[in-house]
Amino acid sequence: MSSYEAPIKELGERYLLPEGTTANDVTETIARVTETKAPRGWWFLFLISLSVLGVLGGALGYLVFQGVGVWGNNAPVYWAWDITNFVWWIGIGHAGTLISAILFLFRQKWRTSINRFAEAMTVFAVLCAAMFPAIHTGRPWFDYYLFPLPNQMDMWPNFKSPLMWDVFAVNTYLLISVIFWFIGLIPDFATLRDRSKNVVRKRVYGFFALGWRGAHRHWQHYERAYLIFAGISTPLVLSVHSVVSFDFATSVVPGWHTTIFPPYFVAGAVFSGFALVTTLMLICRSVFQMQTVVTIRHLDLMNKFMLGTALLVGYAYAMEFFIAWYSSNPYEQWVFLHNRLGWGILDSNGNWGPLWWAYYAMVFCNVVVPQIFWFKRARTSVPIMFIASILINIGMWFERFVIIVTSTYQDFLPSSWGMFHPTGIDVLTYLGTFGLFFTLFLLFVRWIPMIAIAEVKGTLPGAHPDVHIEEAVVEPGAAAAPVPAE
Amino acid sequence: MTRRKPYKTNAGKGPSIWRSLEEKDLSQEERNRRAEEEQPGGFIKDLVPSSMLVSRRAIMKGSSIAALAAGLQGCLRRPESIIYPYSKAPENLIPGIPSHFASVTARGRDALGVVVTSHDGRPTKIEGNAMFPSSLGATDVRGQLYVWDLYDPDRSKSPAKREGNALVDASSEDFDTFFSGLADKHAADQGAGLRIVAPITNSPSFRALKGKVVAKFPKAKFTTYSPVNDDNAREGARLAFGGTATPAVYDYSRAKVTLSLGSDFLASEPGSVAAARGFSTTRAITSPDQAMSRLYVVESNFSQTGSMADHRLRSSQADIEQYAKALAAGLSARGVAGLAPLAAKFKTELTADATKGLNLKWLDAVMDDLNANAGRCVVVAGSGQPPRVHALVHAINGALGNFGNTTFFGPEVDADEPTARESIEALASESGAVTTLVIIGGNPVYDAPANVDFAGLLAREGLTSVHLSDHRNETTLASNWHAPLAHELETWGDQQAMDGSIAVQQPLIAPLYGGRSAIEFMATLAGEETTTGYEIVAAQHSDDVKLNAQRLLDGGANAKEVNEASIWRRGLHSGIIAFPKGTMPTVSVAALLTAFEETEPRTPASTANLEVTFEPDNALFDGRHANNLWGLELPTPMTKIVWDNAAIMSPATRDALGLTNGQMLRLTKGERSVDVPVWPLPGHADNCITLTLGWGRTAAGRYGNGKGFDVYPLRTTDEMDFVSGVTAQALPETYNVVQTQTHDSMEGRPLAIDATLAEYKKEPEFASYRSVEPVNTPPLWKQQDYSEGYQWGMTIDLASCSGCNACVAACQAENNIPSVGKIEVERGREMHWLRLDRYFVGDDQESPQVAVQPVGCQQCEEAPCENVCPVNATVHSSEGLNDMVYNRCVGTRYCANNCPYKVRRFNYLDWQGHLDDKYAFYGDFPESRKLQFNPNVTVRMRGVMEKCTWCVQRIQEAKIAAEREYRKVRDGEIKTACSQACPSQSITFGNLNDPNSKVNKMKAVNRQYQLLAELGTRPRTTYLARIRNPNPALEGKGS
Repeated sequence: MSSYEAPIKELGERYLLPEGTTANDVTETIARVTETKAPRGWWFLFLISLSVLGVLGGALGYLVFQGVGVWGNNAPVYWAWDITNFVWWIGIGHAGTLISAILFLFRQKWRTSINRFAEAMTVFAVLCAAMFPAIHTGRPWFDYYLFPLPNQMDMWPNFKSPLMWDVFAVNTYLLISVIFWFIGLIPDFATLRDRSKNVVRKRVYGFFALGWRGAHRHWQHYERAYLIFAGISTPLVLSVHSVVSFDFATSVVPGWHTTIFPPYFVAGAVFSGFALVTTLMLICRSVFQMQTVVTIRHLDLMNKFMLGTALLVGYAYAMEFFIAWYSSNPYEQWVFLHNRLGWGILDSNGNWGPLWWAYYAMVFCNVVVPQIFWFKRARTSVPIMFIASILINIGMWFERFVIIVTSTYQDFLPSSWGMFHPTGIDVLTYLGTFGLFFTLFLLFVRWIPMIAIAEVKGTLPGAHPDVHIEEAVVEPGAAAAPVPAE
Repeated sequence: MTRRKPYKTNAGKGPSIWRSLEEKDLSQEERNRRAEEEQPGGFIKDLVPSSMLVSRRAIMKGSSIAALAAGLQGCLRRPESIIYPYSKAPENLIPGIPSHFASVTARGRDALGVVVTSHDGRPTKIEGNAMFPSSLGATDVRGQLYVWDLYDPDRSKSPAKREGNALVDASSEDFDTFFSGLADKHAADQGAGLRIVAPITNSPSFRALKGKVVAKFPKAKFTTYSPVNDDNAREGARLAFGGTATPAVYDYSRAKVTLSLGSDFLASEPGSVAAARGFSTTRAITSPDQAMSRLYVVESNFSQTGSMADHRLRSSQADIEQYAKALAAGLSARGVAGLAPLAAKFKTELTADATKGLNLKWLDAVMDDLNANAGRCVVVAGSGQPPRVHALVHAINGALGNFGNTTFFGPEVDADEPTARESIEALASESGAVTTLVIIGGNPVYDAPANVDFAGLLAREGLTSVHLSDHRNETTLASNWHAPLAHELETWGDQQAMDGSIAVQQPLIAPLYGGRSAIEFMATLAGEETTTGYEIVAAQHSDDVKLNAQRLLDGGANAKEVNEASIWRRGLHSGIIAFPKGTMPTVSVAALLTAFEETEPRTPASTANLEVTFEPDNALFDGRHANNLWGLELPTPMTKIVWDNAAIMSPATRDALGLTNGQMLRLTKGERSVDVPVWPLPGHADNCITLTLGWGRTAAGRYGNGKGFDVYPLRTTDEMDFVSGVTAQALPETYNVVQTQTHDSMEGRPLAIDATLAEYKKEPEFASYRSVEPVNTPPLWKQQDYSEGYQWGMTIDLASCSGCNACVAACQAENNIPSVGKIEVERGREMHWLRLDRYFVGDDQESPQVAVQPVGCQQCEEAPCENVCPVNATVHSSEGLNDMVYNRCVGTRYCANNCPYKVRRFNYLDWQGHLDDKYAFYGDFPESRKLQFNPNVTVRMRGVMEKCTWCVQRIQEAKIAAEREYRKVRDGEIKTACSQACPSQSITFGNLNDPNSKVNKMKAVNRQYQLLAELGTRPRTTYLARIRNPNPALEGKGS
């Protein structure tokens, strides 16, 4: 790491970690979590998550045994919570790659304390997401038809279908995310291996460390590989959710058939991803006492990001209405004004669109709530950002629900209009994915360094010895600070 | 794809090897070329584009995956089954090729000729018989439904007798012993105390046997009772024609103006199939210059006929008589001769007070129209109208000169038979004298008028009752003995239509549960020597056969070829053995005058004096089809309610009574009451309520039990059709009424397009102006080439479609479409491939117009479903069809989302095994129902998408037949199930590549338009916009 990454004091920049944090402090803080006994809180959360995962297993078993009819999906709402959950989870999975890859390419050093975390979250969220397209089909045992497997019938999947593109986009994303995550983990696995006090740990971590010795050549290869994968991942951040949005944008359904969808979906995905990272980080930060590594400054930056994406999403919402009006397409106008806003004056019987509340819930959570982050006090207040981040995630779930359900329940032919009511199995399936997510996540925080040890160290003053002397001169008060040793 | 170096022979290296001298002398280049030609894969390359070539490795991979998949599949258990060949093959039966038999099905005293399709001995589908005058090739709803009843798993499977309080199975021998004992017992006392109850019959054999039974037991009496009957029409005819009950048969194709006084002649009245055909010919005009008929309807309920009306007047049932009187008076005043004495009397009666609230101005315009078209018009009274209205209508038709032009009469039958209500009242009044009650069919315990305590009669000590019935229904459960009655498709019989034509009812299958037919029981009772149905029927019609033979000989036929056996066979084959016999009675005005002597003061209906009308159900009729799964889930045409009936009333009456939709309502008349949920129907007459018969059965079977509400308890012999003076009491409970269509407005969208005749004349292309096709954009992919072979197309004419549901039922029967149950319909998961969209049109919420639009798969050329399916499970065929590949479908439902017409249906659960109950298991599907399935259509498993295929199995069948004869499929040879069933011939299907095909001609009509054309889907089903023909003298566009 070169010196240009060091904070410019004249601009008021400071190191991310408090003065005086040593490399050993960083290693100790992070590695300790995997080496000591799990705190009681962890066990508590883990058992809950595992039970909820059991609920998911039960719900899926029932689903496969009986058929998709156990959900509330119907005609004309052929997709409902299943695809809502899919898009929501995959959206959440966006923050990880964004934080890891794009911010890495832009040399945003503040990402180091959260990127591991966010990457893990990405992988687990994409797993949760990928589950839905697989189980939402009527005959999941034939899902392999979706893959271009050679077969005796010479049948290929339909490459015209956006759902087909989804299969590729999501799988590519999952694969690249896992590889990217794993590459970043190699030096840290080596650290854990070296600190191991028993054979099992040594062997297991040693296996995953792939023989890492910290040699210069290793570092050189590692940094190059990391950079390459960051480069590969970056377009994926944009492409995955763009492709997911094609599921809707290329259809003829009013409310889906919208050219703004790709950027709108990407912005929304980043938005929701950041929100969930914030939520989880705030919890882990306090459970594992990592306030020194994940500082308020990190959170402040995260919140600014959320504010920015909230404005983008709000713009997209407004633009959809503009286009609905500008196109003078009566079907689209109906969807936006009646189905979403609920305006009863449009209906010949004066009925309000029964799902209007979902739209208002979405706007409140996604557009109104983030406005609080204009204020620094809100950006740096843990309770406020915790509540806001949860609300944003709820809002983003509603956004997908609004797009999917309120577009389809009243579309072209009034004779076929219907309504959607979720069933208990819908709720349990969605709830169950949290079980899957948190079970994986809790295993992750327990057994894998949840913060990139090597990278955090790179932000310490000791990583920039050339500027360290100047600092000492400029800030005499800090002269007493111990020199970090590597 | 394999990439390899060019093949080279190793010339010059090693010894030269050759097979022939010719080969030996070949030049090296030529050898290489030939070797190249023989390279492995070379021959595939010629057939398959290079992009599709698969390498050896890929094939290995694929086959190993396939082997793995096969291994997994092997884990599933399949039921063991053994196929036996015929040890003696039946004649003319080729496995896999269906055979067709002409038969007939009863409609009260009318009959509907049908052709039954039989697959390997199983009747699976009913079509109309084009040779039979009451069918002309089409059927009504019940005609499509009744094949299901044959396979009803709840049919009675054996005789039974009462032991204590329970009915226990008995053997056929037991029953025969008992039954012959019964005959012996009454042979001694000449039938004193023997009463036989039977429904109205149209069978000449039954009538003949009835005479024989009475001859054998002179003191025995017959009671003829059907809850839905033609009492009023017969009594009316007797009044008008001096005692002869000749049934009127109207020819609507000749009528320029039709006035219906409460008659739903296009749907629920007898003869509706032929009426709809006739009426449609005057409506489906192909250019603005053609003559178009006009229909006026006065009615209480909003019927399908009302939905076809150009002008519709809401009126209570009781007030229709006033309109009829005013009509007679007004026509007489307009110079119509023959009505003067009646007119003089009515004029004095029709005081301002007596006509308060009646819309006589409307009637004036109607009368002008009728008068102007005298001899070319029809006035028709509904079955629910009292006899004297029927008589008056006969007088009016006679005076207008319609007799012989538009109004015809069939032969009188059952001349000495009293009305059903008198008949059953007489039985009840002398119940003490009855010792033996033989009930042949019917279900009087359920459907007898409320003032006849039939259950009480059966429960009387010392009475021996026998119920012969297809089901063990409410009456069976109250009887001492029971024997199963065979289905119409299982036995020989004969039936006579109103116009006098007779068809022989042919059995298609041996009785599934050993039942016998009514005539066989009657023959046994009469002590006849021959008690087999075939012999009874053949003997009955030997005269008809002789007559036909004579006619042929008179017509110059070869005497050698004409013999009775061949005439009989020909009669069976064509489904008609005796041809229509017309009569022409004369109206006796004097008798009419006496009929109208008594006049009760008119009390207009009000919220405190509600008028309740009883109507047969669209599908369940009087309750006899109450266990019919197809019928239960068939949406009621106007309300779209399924699985229930309701108290239908106008929204204004609902509000005046302070009710909400679905709220329970107690209707009380005297000490009788029924509880029914409320449902509003815009266009229904105010302060009137329509109740549908046939629901609320308690012993219908597993599907029909407890569905809907029994309204018979409100019906008495005095008021069989409608009852006035009913009071309503709102109950606190709310009942869940389920519809298949919940939104009734088109919201201003150009969907079911219509225009008045004047508008059509002004702008003949109005339909395509309203539904505009988009500017052509360059296609995204290669377009299909249709220059050769077939290219299918369909048109649906909204001008003639009355929304009768026959097509929906036909589609369900043809395509193995499951019923899903009320709960699932409420979730919006009904499976009908074809649905009838019914919209209310117009600003008048109380009296709107109605637009009906059948919507099945539109078979789009640019189908939005096709390109979104990730697995290619829905693809375009080379003949323009949008094919659905069930095997390939994984059920992502993306296609259904992207279908703007929402015609795709998804098997959310295993519908064949589940009905409402999601916890059922696959094995629960009744064996008997499996026999009904059409073997040419896949029974879809859960998790796959399905939709209308334009009956692709029929297309294939016709193509195979044509190819065997080295010819093209002829126009009209292929009929989709919906178009075949349609009584008004609204649906045309055919080959667009044939310039002379009917469908091409229909597509060329300027009323043609595409539904949602602006989406650019280019649907192959196109619609012909509806034309309404309002009378310029009246305001509004009509109904």
